Amino acid sequence: MAIRKQLYTWELHGDGGDGSSLTHYPRAGTTHSILYGDFGAVQDGQQTGLVKENEFVVIEKIRATPGISPNEFTISGTAPNRLLTRWFPNLFVNIVIDTTNYYQDPQNVWSSGVSGTAAPFPRSSQDEPYYELWPPVYVLPDQTVDIRYTFYNDMFNSASTGEWDIIPETTMIGAVYVDYTLYDGTDAMMCRQLMKLGIPISVDAVENYRRLLLKQKGMETDTFQHYLNMMESERKRRKRERKNQGIARHTEYGGED
Amino acid sequence: MSLRRQTYEWRNVVQRFGDMVSLNSYPISWTGNCSTVPIPANQEIDIFIGGYGNNLDIPARLKAYQYVVIDSVAVFPFHLHAQIYVNTTKYFQDPDGVPSRDGGISGLVVPFPNGAVNTQTGQSIMNYDYREGLQPHIIIKPNQEWGVTVKTASGIAGVNRNATGADIAKCFVKYLLVDGADAIVARRLADAGWPLTPENIWHYKQDIVRTHLYAGLAPLSEKITEADRKV
Repeated sequence: MAIRKQLYTWELHGDGGDGSSLTHYPRAGTTHSILYGDFGAVQDGQQTGLVKENEFVVIEKIRATPGISPNEFTISGTAPNRLLTRWFPNLFVNIVIDTTNYYQDPQNVWSSGVSGTAAPFPRSSQDEPYYELWPPVYVLPDQTVDIRYTFYNDMFNSASTGEWDIIPETTMIGAVYVDYTLYDGTDAMMCRQLMKLGIPISVDAVENYRRLLLKQKGMETDTFQHYLNMMESERKRRKRERKNQGIARHTEYGGED
Repeated sequence: MSLRRQTYEWRNVVQRFGDMVSLNSYPISWTGNCSTVPIPANQEIDIFIGGYGNNLDIPARLKAYQYVVIDSVAVFPFHLHAQIYVNTTKYFQDPDGVPSRDGGISGLVVPFPNGAVNTQTGQSIMNYDYREGLQPHIIIKPNQEWGVTVKTASGIAGVNRNATGADIAKCFVKYLLVDGADAIVARRLADAGWPLTPENIWHYKQDIVRTHLYAGLAPLSEKITEADRKV
């Protein structure tokens, strides 16, 4: 399983309270990680997204909960049991690799990222996202990737208006979805090689490269001779190069070349 | 990260009713506190520096090592129009050659979000005609200034505290930002008349790499290989 299509979804649901908890809901305007942040369903160990030295990651999709106005919430029931059943977080997401933000605004300054309105998750039959992450983002070995979100609708202030009494755990406050391909082991090495050659890294490209390698260096009867010829050719080339550079030793002069 | 698909989203939401601008960020809203600034009729408003809604400090002027390829633009409400300009030239024009009097492409053609509901008919309006964006894409070259303006013939009323999604004017622009070494490749492609797409840039880079590999494999001339050692 050296090439795996992965997806990671971060979700924040209600806590059964009225929304005034500052430990459960992030304040608007603050940025948090979907991997190790203090809110929502992050990884248990809250690890950062370090790509190991034998891995290569290609991020292909990023989406978030749509909606802009906090006044479009939906409630059900009557006081004192009014349930908040729908909420619009006004959510933006950004990709951060090491210390670099992917999204910047036209004045070349860091921006909040792409909005859920432009790249909605989940997708419905009524909306087609305008935004697709193309070209995909490569995360190289030993780099740290992070996906960070920012709410611009504040739950704490909204709770104080008393429009609802309870936010049930079934109500989704916000979600972020990331889709990526994880290459590991020898496939990650092939990704590095493809990248060096300027070839876009896709599952097809890596599999094709692997086929070429196997074809070239398979276990045919003439494989040994093939290697021998290549090594001999390389030895001659190096010898010629050293002579041209004037760094060859006296024992390397003479002979066939 | 020298090829990046960027977006910019403008809205006429402000922090308090009566404010005109939210500079360099989106305002923070909450239930019962989402206000919008009124948009006057028949006035072109720059979504970057126009003085309405969320704005930037400075206009979008490309650096010497940047290219921008504008893919698509979308607006809401449906009677809002969007115009793209580069330096002093406007993209959309009327058949008589005058820049579009309506103000460019309308939200009925490119609604934002795609599938926005028309309150008069109750139906979602989809962007079917410009699904692939503007073809050909608009290329902005280094040191050029670009932007997007919005205009409506009927104006948009400001809402004090109780704005819903349907009350908020929006403009979305999506573009490919090419910078660094890729901008050099982009320049070669643009000079040769090729569309600036990630695929073309990749292809050109592959050709460069291949050429260098071949050059490295080529045998040296006999004059050099057979030459006597000088030192």
